[in-house]
Amino acid sequence: MKRLKWAFLLIALALVAAACGGSATTTTTTSGTSAPTEGGDTTSSVAPAMALDGVDLKLWGWSSSEAENTALSDLVGQFNTATGANAEFQPQADYDVALQSAMASGAPPDVFYIDSFKLADLADAGVLAPVPTGALSSPDDIYPSLREAFTFNGTWYCPPKDFSTLALVYDPEALQAAGVDVPTTWEELATAAAALTTGTTAEIAAGDAQAGLAMGVEYPRWGSFLFQAGAALTDEAVTKITLDTPGATDALQFIADQYQAGYFISPADVDAGWAGEAFGQAKSAMTIEGNWIIGYLQDTFPDRNFAVAELPAGPAGKGTFAFTVCYGVAADAPNPDASWAFVEYLTNPEGSLAWTNAFNVMPARASVSNDWIGSHPDLEAFVAGADYAKRWGFIPGFGDVIGVFNDNAAGLVDGSVTVAELIAAVTGAGNDVIDG
Amino acid sequence: MVKAKTANGPRRRGGHRATKLAPRGSLHSGDNFLGLVFTAPAMIGLVIFVAIPILLTLWVSFRDWNGFVSPFDSSYVGLDNYNELLFKPGIRQTDFARSIRNNFYYVVGVVPIQTVLSLVIAVILNQKFLKGKSFFRTAYYFPSITSSIAVTLIFIFMFQSQGAINAVLPFDNINWLNNANGMIHNVLGVFGVDQAPGWAKSVEFMGLSLWEWMAGPSVAMFAIMMLVTWTTTGTMMLIFLAGLQSISPSVEEAATVDGASSFQRFRYVIVPMMRPTIYFVVTLGLIGTWQVFDQIYATNFGGPRKTTITPAFWIYFQSFRNSEAGLAAAIAILLFVIIMFFAFLQRRVNTSKGVT
Repeated sequence: MKRLKWAFLLIALALVAAACGGSATTTTTTSGTSAPTEGGDTTSSVAPAMALDGVDLKLWGWSSSEAENTALSDLVGQFNTATGANAEFQPQADYDVALQSAMASGAPPDVFYIDSFKLADLADAGVLAPVPTGALSSPDDIYPSLREAFTFNGTWYCPPKDFSTLALVYDPEALQAAGVDVPTTWEELATAAAALTTGTTAEIAAGDAQAGLAMGVEYPRWGSFLFQAGAALTDEAVTKITLDTPGATDALQFIADQYQAGYFISPADVDAGWAGEAFGQAKSAMTIEGNWIIGYLQDTFPDRNFAVAELPAGPAGKGTFAFTVCYGVAADAPNPDASWAFVEYLTNPEGSLAWTNAFNVMPARASVSNDWIGSHPDLEAFVAGADYAKRWGFIPGFGDVIGVFNDNAAGLVDGSVTVAELIAAVTGAGNDVIDG
Repeated sequence: MVKAKTANGPRRRGGHRATKLAPRGSLHSGDNFLGLVFTAPAMIGLVIFVAIPILLTLWVSFRDWNGFVSPFDSSYVGLDNYNELLFKPGIRQTDFARSIRNNFYYVVGVVPIQTVLSLVIAVILNQKFLKGKSFFRTAYYFPSITSSIAVTLIFIFMFQSQGAINAVLPFDNINWLNNANGMIHNVLGVFGVDQAPGWAKSVEFMGLSLWEWMAGPSVAMFAIMMLVTWTTTGTMMLIFLAGLQSISPSVEEAATVDGASSFQRFRYVIVPMMRPTIYFVVTLGLIGTWQVFDQIYATNFGGPRKTTITPAFWIYFQSFRNSEAGLAAAIAILLFVIIMFFAFLQRRVNTSKGVT
């Protein structure tokens, strides 16, 4: 028995040692490759005539739709034809998990999507390469708010692929029938929502009536009302929670009143997966969503009539969110120069216009936004939001705080939480995360 | 040990004695070596895929690891992760307490019901006179072999406010999956207690008031409990059927001759003889229910109002959505402790009733 135990112990030890040893080697190679990368970035800019012939490049992202995958693959194919590289777009099924495991095991993809909300986590972990000087053509052309969204502690990490803003999507016929104009202020929004609501939540769920406005009960929608009231969840640098202001209280109370009166509805209350679905099913006459709703409505509800307007202005003016995704390059990328040349191809004015023209997302560059409006005249309201949009991103670990906000927002809607309680809960949780 | 009077006694128990009687032990050490060789493939697999990951999880739970870099590059933080989950007032403690509360009610609801239900179904399907047995066995087992995500999606449709469940029920439409009210609160509300009494609101444990602790499963969680009971009952039924078939028919016949009614046969003959199987099914149920993830992920992603978050789901969320893999590892270890606690408790209860 004793000998047996020893044998097990030895095997276990040997394996542990092997595992540790293996990882230790990976770690050293990791730092070994990343050091020259940083040096190379600052000294040499990416030459256009760089030899990319036969270089394999993996681009990881998530898949929004088959059409989008095809369009991106086409653009990648053009890059391959132009340069001779072997780049490939590989959509990942469970993106967060896939990327995190690839990173932790020291084998990241060459180029990958980063959501602006996730940037702080990744940048703070030190796994991202900053944008090398001169690697991208005319970076100043990129909307400053979008560059800001991918800047952490003063370092700019990646150029946006495209962006979307929140706007008011409405059914023009319903508005006409109810005799209301497109709302441009909170008062008009409240009046319009009341006039457009034709039944109780149960009737709306059954498809026999419509609500004024369908909106998800979550910070990424409600936050735009805070901006319109001159308030925000945090200060610009995310050093403290700034929710305890009269503006924020007014904004939250305004939203809560609308939901409690039944003029605003949560999509979950009317059997819809999200606000776009509720609007598509004609369960609401208006909704607040981003550019992604356009393709969805055209595909899923081709008969649904809609138009887009800027979000109504609040007491402090206009406000909306900008949601954006960038092309990141890992700090220990095996082929940094080729990766940045690839990113440049995808995000330069021609590349970003070619990509966004096929879709309803907007190019992140001001110089081509007029071209985009030319091909999407009815979506101009989304572009207009770019001027005053606030970024969607905080500091590492802030997902917990957004969770507390959403939790209490749901309580505010069903009447079990007051505005003051929501503010207290979010402030407490937020300061925990900021100080911790 | 009393029985093992000779060296040929049951080897399982007499290993120690055997080496004593044969001091050189050459024969037995040869056995050991061969045994080791034969079990090596499985043991190596276990060590690599089970033992090392468990040890690594334990190790990572003492570190501030974001999940993006190699864990060996993370920094040591001692018991900070555990402190944040258990003792330090704050959002992490409250959320962890919620996940424990949600899962506790889930376990308390699902395990007894699925055990009793599957035993009853198994006994019925084990009757000789029953026609079409194999059809029913297949029908009851079918949910267990269907993808849990597919089943969950079907249930989401059924539990919608315009879904099949509400169409059958005689009340006003209930929005099952978006209702965060606790079932115990609902029941108390029927008796007029719809506000927390002062004492229940002032006493707090791990950031949740007593009133919140005794909320019961939310309506949304209750819907998930029904779904899971429906799926796992088939698996448990199969185990009970196998157990029932090992009971000799003569035992039941003897009970019948002695004049036992069918209920008495069930209560005083079958249930006692099935006790080892019941122990097994309850243990399996406890472990499975404390690890519920798929249904939570697919139904509501922890919502509404965090009333369906469970430790297993929270591990996923903290690790991959919130980049707090060290904290997630600490939750995993605590979940392990909870499961061990309940498994041992269960064993204690059963041993006192004569199951070894």
